[in-house]
Amino acid sequence: MTLVDLYSIMPIVITACAALFVLLCGPVLLSASLTAIGVTASAAAGVWAALSTPTSTQAVAGLAFTPLARFLIPLFCSAAAITLLLSHSYNERRGIKGEEFPATVLFALFATCVLPCATNMLILFLALESVSFAFYILVSMDLNRAESGEAGLKYLLLGAVAAAFTAFGFALLFTGSGTLQLSGALARPDNRAIISAGWGVILVGMAFKLSLVPGHLWTPDVYQGAPAPVSAFLSTSSKVAAAALLLMLLALFPPMQELRVPLAALSVLSMVLGNLAALKQQNIKRMLAYSSVAHMGYLTLALLSGSRDGYAAVLLYGAVYTAMNLAAFGAISSLSVEQERELITDYAGLGFAAPLRGGVLALAMISLAGIPPAAGFIGKFFIFYAAIKGGAISLAIIGILSAAASAYFYLRVVAQLYMHRGQVPAPKPVSLAEGIALCCASLSILVIGVYPGPLLGAIEAALH
Amino acid sequence: MTSLIPILTLLIFLPLCGALLVFALRRSDAAVRGVALAFTLAELALCLWPLALTGEKAAGAPAGFFLYQDAAWIERFGIRYTLGMDGISLVMTILTAFITLIAVLSAWQVKERAGLFFALLLALQGAVQGLFLSLDLFLFYLFWEAMLIPMLLLIGVWGSGRPVYSTIKFFLYTFVGSLLMLLAIIALYLMHGAQTTNYTFALPELVRTTIPYDIGLWLFAAFLLSFAIKFPLFPLHTWQPDAYCDAPVAGTLMLGSLLSKTAAYGLIRIAFPLFPEASRALTPLIFVVAVLGIGYFAWIAFAQRDMKRMLAYSSVSHMGFVALGIAAWSPVAVSGALLQMVNHAVTTGALFVVVGMLEERADSRDLSSYGGTWGKIPVFSFFFLVFNMASAGVPGLNNFVSELIILVGTFRVAPLAAAIAFLGTILTLVYTVRLVQEVVFGKEKTPLELKDLSLREAGVLAVLALVVVALGVHPGPVLELFKAPLEVLVRP
Repeated sequence: MTLVDLYSIMPIVITACAALFVLLCGPVLLSASLTAIGVTASAAAGVWAALSTPTSTQAVAGLAFTPLARFLIPLFCSAAAITLLLSHSYNERRGIKGEEFPATVLFALFATCVLPCATNMLILFLALESVSFAFYILVSMDLNRAESGEAGLKYLLLGAVAAAFTAFGFALLFTGSGTLQLSGALARPDNRAIISAGWGVILVGMAFKLSLVPGHLWTPDVYQGAPAPVSAFLSTSSKVAAAALLLMLLALFPPMQELRVPLAALSVLSMVLGNLAALKQQNIKRMLAYSSVAHMGYLTLALLSGSRDGYAAVLLYGAVYTAMNLAAFGAISSLSVEQERELITDYAGLGFAAPLRGGVLALAMISLAGIPPAAGFIGKFFIFYAAIKGGAISLAIIGILSAAASAYFYLRVVAQLYMHRGQVPAPKPVSLAEGIALCCASLSILVIGVYPGPLLGAIEAALH
Repeated sequence: MTSLIPILTLLIFLPLCGALLVFALRRSDAAVRGVALAFTLAELALCLWPLALTGEKAAGAPAGFFLYQDAAWIERFGIRYTLGMDGISLVMTILTAFITLIAVLSAWQVKERAGLFFALLLALQGAVQGLFLSLDLFLFYLFWEAMLIPMLLLIGVWGSGRPVYSTIKFFLYTFVGSLLMLLAIIALYLMHGAQTTNYTFALPELVRTTIPYDIGLWLFAAFLLSFAIKFPLFPLHTWQPDAYCDAPVAGTLMLGSLLSKTAAYGLIRIAFPLFPEASRALTPLIFVVAVLGIGYFAWIAFAQRDMKRMLAYSSVSHMGFVALGIAAWSPVAVSGALLQMVNHAVTTGALFVVVGMLEERADSRDLSSYGGTWGKIPVFSFFFLVFNMASAGVPGLNNFVSELIILVGTFRVAPLAAAIAFLGTILTLVYTVRLVQEVVFGKEKTPLELKDLSLREAGVLAVLALVVVALGVHPGPVLELFKAPLEVLVRP
């Protein structure tokens, strides 16, 4: 390993070192400085990745700084940094103490950064499972709330089953192609059946990770039970990582014909059932969980076109979705008092009582509903463009009608924020860290919505 | 000099800057109102400027456009920031600036969260101006959707009755239509790109796409659905009475006078020229809903006791004439429809404002609470009478001219539709006369302390009345502006 190789995987090294440092020195440092270290390390890793040039040569066994990694690592790093910024005051209010929280966030970040760099199926699987492992801990981090532990256990049990499926799928792909190397793994025609079987089993595992119907059942409970900053991180980074894994595999084993029907079924079911279920939710985090199901359905719609446009749409939507959900959960986290505001009606009048956070939450809802000039519109536009171009017109119509219905539950939140008055606890003043995090998320929503050109360029480069 | 100053961009962004400034000044009501008024006046002045330029031809612009601006925006999809102004856009932008000015003046009394209120009004104005100027279909769609959020909040936050219900109903109706239109736009874009290898949303380019008849029908239907909901055309109107009634006066004004015009404008500028064959095939359907709308809504208006609700139905009934003129698709009929759009905005807008003033005084919109206002508040009653006469189509006032032109234009194409629509005007006369009779004349039903108009109110109404008379007596210059663009758009 040369120095150049080390430079190219520096983001991974930075995050790993920061995680270890926080864990080791945590007991003797102030919690604010731990958060600061975490944010600085994430930012440094992200900037480093964004500024380096991707190569296809392996830096160390099983890792290479690919173009995809150059796009995804900064995305993951910003999500982690925003999560850390949000969690600091949230944890103080909630009495979550200790260095394990920032350390686990950094470990999760480390694993998500490894994932797009993997050149080997084993590393890919290990990275994916490390992400999940970190999240099992983060979800159950709030010891004062029983729901948190319950959610963690639920996630762990179902996640273990999904991991087993994914591992079995990788094993079948290995049997079919004869190599664990991603670059050499081309489907041999006589092994097509085994490869297809492997794909089928991997899809089961991925349906769980992406919360596609019918693998979505854990989602509402986990989102509801987890601390809000964790839900923000979970609903963005882990989803984008899983989508990235699918993209990496699809680029190498492209039997799209066999995958079309199962992917179409997953997509339609998720779009329709996710949006329908969200209509009836009274709890804002459960509503966002079902909305997440629907959004992953849109993402799958783009994926199944099997074209470069479709994959670009997946990456754009991943970035947009990250910004939107960080803003939404960020506002929820920052507006929480001694208890989290569970019900949508708990947000009555907060648009005027807490203008910044109410505005950010409303913007996130408008963006999730796909209304311009917010970024969600550009994301949806690209998805449906890819779907129509790929010939999936009936799916696109179903998708767009379900998206129209979804406007109802997003607007309910906006209506509560601005058009209702209620006896709700007054929000605490917004802390500096939260303010920075929320402004970053909402500014990126607006900038991507109005001027997506540079981001689209970066995505083109990532798919090269 | 005009090439140096980007008038079109200014027209869109001046109100948006105004919105930001007003929002920043929200602590002081007086500053908010002053700044909002200043910005709307500046916008109106800026709109009137291009009147001096109508003879010119802008460089690189399609035929008929005298102001033009074009810049790359999202290059991956060939989306461009293309704005253009021809006679039709010019009249529509002036109308938008004028109606917003009236809205700002009529909302002078808004005390609650005035900063946000005026900021939303100005933002809405910016979006509507952008829509009337876009020549890129993607940009058009962006403005079309962007109008929804300010409107949603205007109705929901400052409305009365059941504002949240009404505003969400309004939003969902229009949103469903718009999303289907988005799919149609993408499909059209892909078809054009496949045929010419030039992937673009530029309207003048897309018009040249060869579209198979059956696909064209579906795409046109998606556009028509979206525009018909906002129009609104029978039977997609059910959101409209609720939204009009529950909105604050300025909101109703923007909704009834401007947003419905954006739909008619979309039909004229986009849907009909893009799909000539499909639109011809569906013309009978539009004739039927237009004529049905004129008669049916006039009849329902007659049954209303709530004045604002009556006006809401009266408003859709009059919009039926616009639909009639567009469906006939001859230069005469369409120029009548365009003139009717202006007249409808002014007359109906004025009626909503006067009823709003009455409601402000007596806190009731019920017809039965009023009577004999002529003796008590003569200035108010005079204006009330004038606008109702204009609405009923009395010769010499504005609506008469445009409705006559539409009927004449339509009669050549579809005599039956024109004849039935003419009968509809009689129904209009019936409910208007009853409204005037009960409120202005008649006997006083409940003793009310009514104050006559303040100077500001009288000023607003006087300006509106002047426009009503001017357009009724001398509509020539406006019609002249429509001539050149219609030669390009309407090819019979």
